[in-house]
Amino acid sequence: MLSVLCLVSLFLLRDHPRLLAFQRGATDAVAVTAEIILAPVDGWNRLVQSFQSRAALQDEVFRLQQENRVLKGQTQRLVSLLSENARYKALLNSARDIEDELVAAQITSVSPDPARHMVMLDKGSIDGLREGQPVLGAEGLMGQIVMVGQHNSRAVLITDSAHALPVQVNRSGLRAIAEGSGRIDQLVIRHLAATTDIRVGDLLVTSGLGGRFPHGYPVARVTDVTISPGDAFAVVNAAPSSALDRGRFVLVVVRESADSIQPGSQL
Amino acid sequence: MNKAHARWVIYLTLGFALVWMLLPFSIEWRSLRPDIASLALFYWVLALPHRVGITTAFAVGIAQDLIEGAPLGLSSPGLMLATLLLLLSYQRIRQYDLLQQSLVVLVLLLLSAGIEQWLRNGVNVPVMPLEALVGLLCSTMCWIPVRAILRQSRRYYEVY
Repeated sequence: MLSVLCLVSLFLLRDHPRLLAFQRGATDAVAVTAEIILAPVDGWNRLVQSFQSRAALQDEVFRLQQENRVLKGQTQRLVSLLSENARYKALLNSARDIEDELVAAQITSVSPDPARHMVMLDKGSIDGLREGQPVLGAEGLMGQIVMVGQHNSRAVLITDSAHALPVQVNRSGLRAIAEGSGRIDQLVIRHLAATTDIRVGDLLVTSGLGGRFPHGYPVARVTDVTISPGDAFAVVNAAPSSALDRGRFVLVVVRESADSIQPGSQL
Repeated sequence: MNKAHARWVIYLTLGFALVWMLLPFSIEWRSLRPDIASLALFYWVLALPHRVGITTAFAVGIAQDLIEGAPLGLSSPGLMLATLLLLLSYQRIRQYDLLQQSLVVLVLLLLSAGIEQWLRNGVNVPVMPLEALVGLLCSTMCWIPVRAILRQSRRYYEVY
């Protein structure tokens, strides 16, 4: 009886700040527990790493140096492009891009709920994370933060079937909504008229509409477009640019550029 | 005396079963993870219906939601109803052989998963994919070993 009462009150108070604070605290507790039980595995990995051969390490340093050189070369161009862009924007009297401020975080675990694509990150509110901030992988947008504990947080990935984000086709500027499909390698773009100009291989980038994601981050690449003659809408699928189920390191955008609007709505 | 009853064993095993949810599974194989926490709960309800009941089921459900990061109270009602059915018929189910018990467990798991799906639909949390049914079968297959382990620990620590 008491439990049923508790259930009802949990439902009625589901948005109560105390309850949310409790859930946030639980995020930290869960992360700490996971860390403790995975400590032996982590320790073993670290041990194996520390015995890595000198040659392998040298190889890696060499590879990273090469990569660094290439990236530095590209940034040189980027700097000049940025200043050029700023001049154009000044000419057009529009808001100036301030560079996004990023925090590097590590994925510590994946939610055990098979219906959801959620991950736990090892950074929390003391690192400047807030709910609604975008999470980036090396190749593109990965998701957004939905619950922030003090030292840990949960992020939902863009392929979660409760997630949708406004995108833009890079080639044509066409705006659309990319919904998660519940499959880790697929996004669905719904409600595009059958006559729309969209092709396989088109890059989708965040459009910045809706105010949650800053404009211009790559999201996905169109993998197939099916237009059946009787239907009003095309069926368009896309594959996320970043491998959402690979890799451990992500970046969280803690301060967005000035031309994106502050988030207004909850997920 | 509380100590003589060794009730901590119940909560410790339930805790271990919940920690099992934290072990890393790759994102494709997650749905095959057996639901050890529900199985442990069912075992304790069958074994000690005067100790473990609806309130424990409620607590286990809340713990599951906290671990999953789901809205609180999503998993509890299903577990509570399954527990209620067990409490009403534990004397009969105790007499069944292991295979029959496994079938009963499958039905209870289906029931609690069904209620959870219904609630998920209600609060707009994505519903489980069909592969989750295979996960329920995995859980069912784990009933016999889970029961054996818990039975051993119950006898060893003389929990009653």
